[in-house]
Amino acid sequence: MWMNWMRATLMTAALIGLATAARAAGPDVGAAAPAFTLTTLDGQPFSLSDAAKSHKAVVVMFIATKCPYSNAYNDRMRDMAAAYEKRGVLFVGINSNKTEPADEVREHAKKHGFAFPLMKDPENKVADLYDARHTPEIYVVDPAGKLRYHGRIDENYEEPSKVSSPDLKNALEEMLTGKSIAKAETKAFGCSIKRV
Amino acid sequence: MFDQESLEPTAGSRQSTASRPSALAFGLLLLAASVAVAGPSGPRRPATGRFAGDVDAKGLTQLLARQRGKVVLVNFWATWCEPCRQEYPDLVRLQRKLGTRGLQVVGISTDFASALPAAEKFLAEQRPTFPNYHKKSGGDDQDFINAIDKGWGGELPFSVLYDRTGKKSKTLSGKHSYADYEREVLSILK
Repeated sequence: MWMNWMRATLMTAALIGLATAARAAGPDVGAAAPAFTLTTLDGQPFSLSDAAKSHKAVVVMFIATKCPYSNAYNDRMRDMAAAYEKRGVLFVGINSNKTEPADEVREHAKKHGFAFPLMKDPENKVADLYDARHTPEIYVVDPAGKLRYHGRIDENYEEPSKVSSPDLKNALEEMLTGKSIAKAETKAFGCSIKRV
Repeated sequence: MFDQESLEPTAGSRQSTASRPSALAFGLLLLAASVAVAGPSGPRRPATGRFAGDVDAKGLTQLLARQRGKVVLVNFWATWCEPCRQEYPDLVRLQRKLGTRGLQVVGISTDFASALPAAEKFLAEQRPTFPNYHKKSGGDDQDFINAIDKGWGGELPFSVLYDRTGKKSKTLSGKHSYADYEREVLSILK
């Protein structure tokens, strides 16, 4: 009897431990992208649902000011955002790192010519909602609010001129031309998001 | 100190020729000759500011297979990764404390080739008593990441714990405390 009680208690404790350790899984590609609202560094409200409805695609980028991997993509993010804005695609940047305050994010954006909306993600709630792990990490949402692409910008952070797999660009081109996305999930190394 | 022979770099690595007996003996002689003498209160420690070789996913699998019987903690790090640098001393401490009980820490640097000097300088400062390998350059990182663990998104640091049978026991994403690592290791270090 006592052994049974002990066993049950230990099993319950183990299950609680597992539940505590596990972070909520992010959305699958093809599923609804979790809705969120944040305030941009310019003080404007941003709603993913509203933005998705009024654009052909929304590119949500988890980025950082100090991460070398994220910084390697500064020019590419700036240029792609400008090029695709003309085609109805909105790029937004989210900084979820507790170690990088709003002023630093603002200064970093100014230095690198970011013209796209930028937001701080207090207590990394949006990063948790998406289970975003690192920077840069990209999510593309279609007008119906579905997640269509998740992963990297491309496979070569070090040499932009030698990129052989421009995955984000390919995904956007496929979306804009009504095709299904051939490579909808990709991975790359990155800096872990500094959570609260 | 780690088992030098069983943790040799695999074929294709930068030090694969060290598997020949004469080369190994020469290497051990060099190692012995390079033993650094610490300060008056410190122990004598081997100079460890070098990578044991390059490794790809296949090579890492082979390396792990040779560690059966030990609990292995593989830690993926990079010099540009601040949390990796912060937790690294805890891994050094963990190996020193639990190595004799059967723990083998293995470090894998994902630094680019251009950052190898900085990575070796970091190792020289940290003085790990466990081997560190450099992820082989080239190829698509995605293939490497997926081969290590399908649930790994590519964030660093990232650690994988294997039990004495070589079975993956746990993955640890991001920076963890010494207490976290010790608890996880002790839970399977029977």
